[in-house]
Amino acid sequence: MATNRPPFWQREQYTPYLLLLPALLTLAFVVVLPLLFSLYTSFTGYRLIRPESLWQWVGLRNYKRIFADGDFWIAFGRTIVFLTIALNLEFLLGLGIALLINRITWGQRTLRTIMMFPMMFSPILVGYQFKFVFNDNIGILNNALQSLGLSDGAIPWLVDKYLANFSIIFAEVWMSTSVFAILLLAGLFAMPRDPLEAAKVDGCNPWQVFRHITLPFLMPFVFIAMTIRSLDVARAYDIVDVMTGGGPAGRTELLWTMIARTGYDNARMGQANAMAYVSILLSIAFTYYFFTKLLAARKYMGGAD
Amino acid sequence: MKSSILRYLAMGAGLHLAMTSAPATAGEFDGYTLRVKLIGGAQYEPLYSRIAEWEAMTGAEVDVLSRKNHFELDREIKQDIAAGTLDWCVGSNHTSFAPQYGSIYIDLNGVISEDVLAEFQELALKNSTINGRLLQLPRHSDISNLYYIKSLYEDEDKKAAFKAEYGYDLVPPETWDQVKDQAIFFANAPTFYGTQFVGKDEAITGRFYELLVANGGALFDDDWNPIFNSEAGVEAVNFFKDLYDAKAVPAGALNYLWDDTGLGFASGTVAMDLDWAGWASFFNDPENSKVAGDVGLIRAPKGSAGIRTGWSGSHTFSITETCDNKDAAASFITFLTNHDSQMIEATAGLLPTRTKVWDDAKAKFAAGGNDFLVQVFETYAVSMSEDAFTPPLITPWIEVSNEIWPQLQAAILGEKTPQEALDEAAEAARIVMEDAGYL
Repeated sequence: MATNRPPFWQREQYTPYLLLLPALLTLAFVVVLPLLFSLYTSFTGYRLIRPESLWQWVGLRNYKRIFADGDFWIAFGRTIVFLTIALNLEFLLGLGIALLINRITWGQRTLRTIMMFPMMFSPILVGYQFKFVFNDNIGILNNALQSLGLSDGAIPWLVDKYLANFSIIFAEVWMSTSVFAILLLAGLFAMPRDPLEAAKVDGCNPWQVFRHITLPFLMPFVFIAMTIRSLDVARAYDIVDVMTGGGPAGRTELLWTMIARTGYDNARMGQANAMAYVSILLSIAFTYYFFTKLLAARKYMGGAD
Repeated sequence: MKSSILRYLAMGAGLHLAMTSAPATAGEFDGYTLRVKLIGGAQYEPLYSRIAEWEAMTGAEVDVLSRKNHFELDREIKQDIAAGTLDWCVGSNHTSFAPQYGSIYIDLNGVISEDVLAEFQELALKNSTINGRLLQLPRHSDISNLYYIKSLYEDEDKKAAFKAEYGYDLVPPETWDQVKDQAIFFANAPTFYGTQFVGKDEAITGRFYELLVANGGALFDDDWNPIFNSEAGVEAVNFFKDLYDAKAVPAGALNYLWDDTGLGFASGTVAMDLDWAGWASFFNDPENSKVAGDVGLIRAPKGSAGIRTGWSGSHTFSITETCDNKDAAASFITFLTNHDSQMIEATAGLLPTRTKVWDDAKAKFAAGGNDFLVQVFETYAVSMSEDAFTPPLITPWIEVSNEIWPQLQAAILGEKTPQEALDEAAEAARIVMEDAGYL
């Protein structure tokens, strides 16, 4: 005897999939398809100015070139160093600012707002601002140093191998320290008072309280901020492009200044996409590392796995 | 499917336009909207005030889709080519960039009447022609000559000291070797510099290229093999390196572009500045410049082969193949490059591409008592007609340039010898030329 089975989209076991379908389709069109397309182009000799080259399959040639390209790996290494220094500095400064703001009782809201000002500027504006500050001839920093008698020469801030990278990191830290400060401040606000008071009763000094209670509690927030910022910094482009353009002589070349020049100025989008795919490994590695640390920190705090 | 949707949308938009556009004047292109992408920036904007006049004259409307500096515009156009969205008619172009864009622009021969073209300078039109196709209508040209602070050359103590040290008279330089001597002589870092140079991007490639030619070298041989790693090339790199090592140029010069050199000279801290005519009025304006009234100008000096440097190019307009109303587009770019339009730009110091505008602008300056601008136009007229040469008009020019300039920087900073740096650049340029099908 045949029962009237409902059509499959009305059957119960398919309902979850049907409900998920809009989300899956959106993800497919917005994320997966473009990613697959750009992955495909990384195996072609695709040039922006020659649309027909999209079908010119070159196999692994782009990747072989990258692996043999010393400049790319130097930029790769520099990006890792840049990221490590910038993130640690932002963390330390952000933590300091958050702890200080957490202490004050009057004007806290105003200070929190002011603290976010640097984040409101476009990175391009920040780049121009610091390009002017660090200009060797007419920049205010050199002029101030000379007026104060601290320097009698023109310090080539944006040319010297170390100073140029320092200047860019300084701009990056200036703009984004408040990301850490805001997230850590949120962590401090959410912190339960009981363990702090118990520790004081037990005779802990302020350093011990900070080291064994406040900091471990804040670590999950730190790692979330680190994850967000590592993705940001690993694709740092605007500030570097405006301040030095990756130069001089490639001294401040990061992955994305190199990729943008290859993809747009040289119009070699296939090659640029191959570079981008290799550099994504970096972002995945950092994200994986920070999420592992995040889970460990939460476990330590007795939170969810 | 996609294209048919687009077509319906386009039809809808056209219908909408047809219904809403009320004819203001009975012009030639009533109701038509011309979509354009123009170069933006302070010196380019005054011309665009004339767009309203063209609109009133023809009844068309101009929709300016972008107004960006040329490097950004270049990226946008490349994206349009890639995405197949060349749905606009007129684009700003430049002789250095034009060869990259392949066949997206039409040949203007036959579209712009011969009478009109005959009024343009022959060299400017020749430089706008690629593979026999006139892809661009030149708007104004660009070449550099040497500005200097006059009073430095009138100072008796300096004259005597220079003669004692270098064995010849201190007069405005005739050769680049003399520029080097004088720049080192005048420099007193960090308060005063002998000269300066643009230090990155196509800017320094161009400066290297013109000195290479002036020293008797060339970028490529007749078969497009890179040959700039020659003796003349090393000599050209050493010019920059010697100035840098002697602190005769600002330490940050390797990060400088055109604004930095112009503003540097106007700040009164630089003795000599190789720059374009667009700065002339600015340099002589007491509001903006500390050297106003003390500015001298001579033709660009000669290299060791007795040739003057003369890297030149033109800002231009082009019409796309996909343009739906090429007559309107042609009318628009002809209007923006006609006599009156070029007079507006010439008055600001930009070099016209119409022969008659040179004379008329000079007469206008003379009538206004502006002897300095008369001298500027006379100097630049000679260099435009006798010294000007463009970079190779090849598709991968910018790409070749991107291989050269980081190596120039490395040589100037002493990370490599000039020969090593040029050898590496030449090898990389060879690969670019091979990939582009020239080798």
